[in-house]
Amino acid sequence: MTYDWSVVWEYRWLLLEGAWTTIELTVLTMALAVVGGVALAMLRMSAFAPVRTLATAFVEFFRATPLILQIYWVFYVLPAAFDVRLSAFATGLVGLSLNVSAFNSETFRAGITSIRRGQWHAALALGMTRRQVMRRVILPQAVWRVLPALASTWVSLFKDTSLVATIAVADLAYNALQIRARTYRILEVLTAMAVLYWLMGYPQAKLVDWIHRRFEVVE
Amino acid sequence: MINLAPLARNWRFLASALGTSLLLSALAMLLGLLVGTAVGLLRTYGPRQLGVLLALYVDSFRAMPLLVILVWTFFAFPLVVGYSLDPLWAGVIGLGLHSGAYIAEVIRAGLTSVRRGQMRAALALGMKRGQAIRTVILPQAAIRMLPPLGSQLVLVIKDSAITAVIAVPELMRQSQVLASQTFRPFEIYTTVMIVYFCLTFPVARGVDRIFRRLAPLGAS
Repeated sequence: MTYDWSVVWEYRWLLLEGAWTTIELTVLTMALAVVGGVALAMLRMSAFAPVRTLATAFVEFFRATPLILQIYWVFYVLPAAFDVRLSAFATGLVGLSLNVSAFNSETFRAGITSIRRGQWHAALALGMTRRQVMRRVILPQAVWRVLPALASTWVSLFKDTSLVATIAVADLAYNALQIRARTYRILEVLTAMAVLYWLMGYPQAKLVDWIHRRFEVVE
Repeated sequence: MINLAPLARNWRFLASALGTSLLLSALAMLLGLLVGTAVGLLRTYGPRQLGVLLALYVDSFRAMPLLVILVWTFFAFPLVVGYSLDPLWAGVIGLGLHSGAYIAEVIRAGLTSVRRGQMRAALALGMKRGQAIRTVILPQAAIRMLPPLGSQLVLVIKDSAITAVIAVPELMRQSQVLASQTFRPFEIYTTVMIVYFCLTFPVARGVDRIFRRLAPLGAS
């Protein structure tokens, strides 16, 4: 078996374009999912029981089913059943955001409830309103506590964006698989894809480990 | 609008696909546990140089998407070794090595969570290192590892759906096949989604319950 690595250099722009799409998708999804996660966390702490139940059901469902199936569902079912037409990229973004929102909401909820009740009581006793307590006492502490979990979710999300290749979003995985089909240089192209993902993912994984050590909660 | 007839006609097809999903998940989890336990133990107690190498394995497999690992294992790896792999085995190896990296971290975290004083006390009592690990450290650490290992099992079941990209005839793949044959993606994907939910949700809840019952045993 002879290897011809020049094919990787020949298609470098297509690979890099794909890598850029992967990064774009990760950043946009996380931006949407932070908002979605906060909203879901609020709904789950709502005073109105049916809202709580619905939000909980949503979160549990998205956490318990495979992401690839969720993406397929959004891709095939939304247009057919509800006549919603989205581009492949938007479909991938919606699927990923719904999933990551569910995970983020758990992170935020855990962050908020991890602040001891005594702090609520103390702040209320000082004459603050509930809203003030939330904004000035609870949230500033909770933000730092959720950071490690959010960072882990970020890396998972970065890896999971590769699943949108199955609905033909031109990310790194999709472009690499296309180049493979076009050139038949299977080993070279797939190895280049793995190396590119590794080059992007490895520093992120290391950074997350550092964030975990740096922001670990010691009470 | 909703037509469940294609599903009713093909339920056997999907049931056997579900069986493949379960088999794949079980084998991958088993491989992950074997690799993860070995790597976790060696990284904690083994020689330093080996630790650096194993750390590279763990961090690399945590840094690359499962889809990439699976595609590489199934399409590229056979070209290196000149030996073709059955999709199911490629799936077991890819999924197993991926979860093995995470399990290794769980094992290591569990082992290092037992206070150092216990190892010293055991050694002072005249135990050998291996004996101390086996009879003092592991029993406590194992209970602490249970909840993250349970989450890992749920992850493996969910991730087994990704092996559809290398055409392992599991639930996700076969529902794609059925959806394209019958043109009823809504009914099929929704049903399969519910099946996955019924599979993973009880596992997640069961793990929580077992953990709550065993947690006091792991306290030290």
